[in-house]
Amino acid sequence: MGLKKPPTQTAATQDERRLPRDFKGLCQALEDDSPKARRWAARDLAAFPEASAALLARLGREPDHSVREVILTSLTRLGDATALAGLIDCLRSEDALLRNDAIEALQQLPEEVAPHMERLLADPDSDMRIFAVNVLQSLRHPQVEPWLIAVIEHDPHVNVCAAAVDLLGEVGTAAARAPLRALKKRFAEEPYIRFATDLALKRVGEG
Amino acid sequence: MKHILVIDDAATVRLFHRDILEAGGYAVSEALNGIEALEKSLQTDFDLYLVDVNMPKLDGYGFLHELRAREQPQAPAIMVSTEAGDRDRALAYAAGANHYLIKPVRPEALLAAVGLLLGESHAP
Repeated sequence: MGLKKPPTQTAATQDERRLPRDFKGLCQALEDDSPKARRWAARDLAAFPEASAALLARLGREPDHSVREVILTSLTRLGDATALAGLIDCLRSEDALLRNDAIEALQQLPEEVAPHMERLLADPDSDMRIFAVNVLQSLRHPQVEPWLIAVIEHDPHVNVCAAAVDLLGEVGTAAARAPLRALKKRFAEEPYIRFATDLALKRVGEG
Repeated sequence: MKHILVIDDAATVRLFHRDILEAGGYAVSEALNGIEALEKSLQTDFDLYLVDVNMPKLDGYGFLHELRAREQPQAPAIMVSTEAGDRDRALAYAAGANHYLIKPVRPEALLAAVGLLLGESHAP
């Protein structure tokens, strides 16, 4: 029976990786018409410490979501100051998907993000502060609860506090009880804050 | 009983909206993002969608674009957002929203908007 042999993984891989695998060649491949070639280039660039700027430049105009994902994975692996600043910039993007992808990438960099968190939580734009709270959602860092408590104690914007309360309901401890009660008093006229603080208080052991 | 799909990635918000709507006499289902909402809307004829703007995977605008592109009768949708600006309202209506509410939503405002869009003569 004349079965056609499917192309091997290696053949396809070689075809999509036809440009030289040095830094210059990979930057060129990152601009290729084929998403597959761009994906491979983005993946291979993670081996080059100087690649963050090129990856970020492509990220802003990359239309293919699967390529974007690989770019973000490579930026997370690189995790240098350029990558971090670029990912933080993405939080200001109008593109909700890019923003959410950046939030997920930043969640993978707890030690690198930590020195920037207080500044992000004090950003003049309340949306940025909400996104900063979103970054805290899966950030494995011992300061997460103190940061959230500081938000509900000091942030004047109801929706920033609302985002922090939701998260405190998941990660909060007894230390969050008094700040939660104080927040409920501060936004006594907001039914949602009353609801969310009651729920969070139940979850941290005071119902 | 009218059936409403509440779409929001924040569990507390979904619960808050569910409590209000169930107290108002509506049946409620939930979805965590636009993708899940599109899947559920293929299985169930909801009478109304309550849609958050910012969600992972597919946001509220994307969900409404996809939903409105379908060739079938369309249920009304209320977009819920933290943004109070005219631009954000315009984006929501352009995506196919029928009403726009600003977070945090007040129970009486939500029930009034739902009653209005479902053509009920009373706010439940």
